[in-house]
Amino acid sequence: MAAETAMSPSARRLPGDVNMWVFVLGDMVFFGAYFVIFMYYRTRQQDMFLLSQRHLSLASGVVNTLFLLASSWFVARAVQAVRDDMHERALRLVAAGGGFGVAFVALKIHEWYALAHHGFKLSTNDFFMFYFALTAIHVFHVLLGMFVLGFVGRELRRADLRRAWVVEAGATYWHMVDLIWVVLFAILYVMR
Amino acid sequence: MSGARRTSVVWLALSVLTLGSWLLRVVHDRGALSASTAATVGVLAVALIKGRLIIREFMEVRSAPAWLGWATDGWLSLLWATILVMYLA
Amino acid sequence: MSVAAPPIAASEDMPEADKRDLWFCWWVLPFFYSFFGLIFVLLTHVMPPPSPHKTDEQITAFFHAHGTTIQIGFAILMVVIGGSGILNGFVAYEMKRMSVTPVFAYTYIATLAVGAIPGCLMCAFSFLVASFRPDRDPHIVAMLYDVALLTFVGSLGCFAAQYLTLGIAILLDKNEIFPKWFAYVSFWNVITELLAAPVFVFKKGPFSWNGAISFWEGTVIFVIYLNCFILLLRKAVQDQRAGEVVQD
Repeated sequence: MAAETAMSPSARRLPGDVNMWVFVLGDMVFFGAYFVIFMYYRTRQQDMFLLSQRHLSLASGVVNTLFLLASSWFVARAVQAVRDDMHERALRLVAAGGGFGVAFVALKIHEWYALAHHGFKLSTNDFFMFYFALTAIHVFHVLLGMFVLGFVGRELRRADLRRAWVVEAGATYWHMVDLIWVVLFAILYVMR
Repeated sequence: MSGARRTSVVWLALSVLTLGSWLLRVVHDRGALSASTAATVGVLAVALIKGRLIIREFMEVRSAPAWLGWATDGWLSLLWATILVMYLA
Repeated sequence: MSVAAPPIAASEDMPEADKRDLWFCWWVLPFFYSFFGLIFVLLTHVMPPPSPHKTDEQITAFFHAHGTTIQIGFAILMVVIGGSGILNGFVAYEMKRMSVTPVFAYTYIATLAVGAIPGCLMCAFSFLVASFRPDRDPHIVAMLYDVALLTFVGSLGCFAAQYLTLGIAILLDKNEIFPKWFAYVSFWNVITELLAAPVFVFKKGPFSWNGAISFWEGTVIFVIYLNCFILLLRKAVQDQRAGEVVQD
């Protein structure tokens, strides 16, 4: 961490685009509120939440977490590739990141389907209400993220564009999606 | 450590931490249906560490202007402190 | 097109006289939303909404208690609602100043024109009908109550489309009529609109029409958006240069 503290103020820069940071920071605050509201309802019905939680597939949660972590890894490396002017490589890395995003959505849908098959739905109880609503709004963010990555891909393909800040801004958003999932995984799947 | 290697180490650490919390959960889950404060506090701590790694490394807040580091650390602290307090209450 | 206007230096601000119509439109904003607040919050008690978890008798009692202010409030709404037409036209004009196709501006108007009906007027009329005859059958009064509040909170698609249209237009706009961060503020509202969808299912909890998530958090985010929008529209009018060509 020595490199971090030794950085002069002029060497520090905001990656991507300040407007995207407004979006990301705001989204983090709003999701934070959803998480706290979840905890409020959880503490009032702890036993029911614990019982219901057992019906979730912890394995699916873990695999999905690993999927998003891998996708973020690829996207982070794509940003590095762009900075080194390696646009072809960056494009492949973004595609790989997007691929893991698709895998996440596919597994999530499978998980929902399996739960629905066992009779669990949004109105079953407060735990499942939060589970379906929060994972749904998160999946919406993932789908939006796929669109963002697609936009980044277009940026990389066009020789007249290839602006590093666009790739960085897209990456910032994508990492936020990963970050939010890390919290969801902890509070929905693992916390007891 | 080069940028690419550092990123890969971070990713590995995040994945290991994820598997770790799975293990923590499975090991304590021996049929008992009960809440486990110790396991959960562990899980929350791991989630905080993972979150901070994603923010500082993947989102490159480490090399960003200081205010962003304060803001994101503030978010992390406030979020997990609130969740922990509500959990323990 | 007839004779071109004489060339004007790009740095000259448009003389104030030419922008009086736009300033009039802008001033409608604070007045309209003040009325909106007075009506929906203080007089008619729609914001925050009363609970979906009431019995028919409790709902009837609600209309007995607030009937007079509901009638005053929504009668005023019927008079001032035209202001929304002015505001939508004004925003559409600003969107036409953007480099993107005017389809965005037309879409903005269309989504709000449609949205105004379930998003505002149905609530007003349902409450007015419920208050019109205090001795109505409680089952019918309860139904009017449900119609009012489900439409008010649940009419999310039109508004989600509006926020999306505005946000995308801003991101694509090369003329920088609005700052890019405001596009993202607009997108936040898309998310909160989507999170209002469960109100059709829940009568209590955070996803009911008066819930912490479906109502409160969405309203807070909307108020942030609105305040930013009012200030940014002011700036947009101020910054408009003389001789600026606005697409048809």
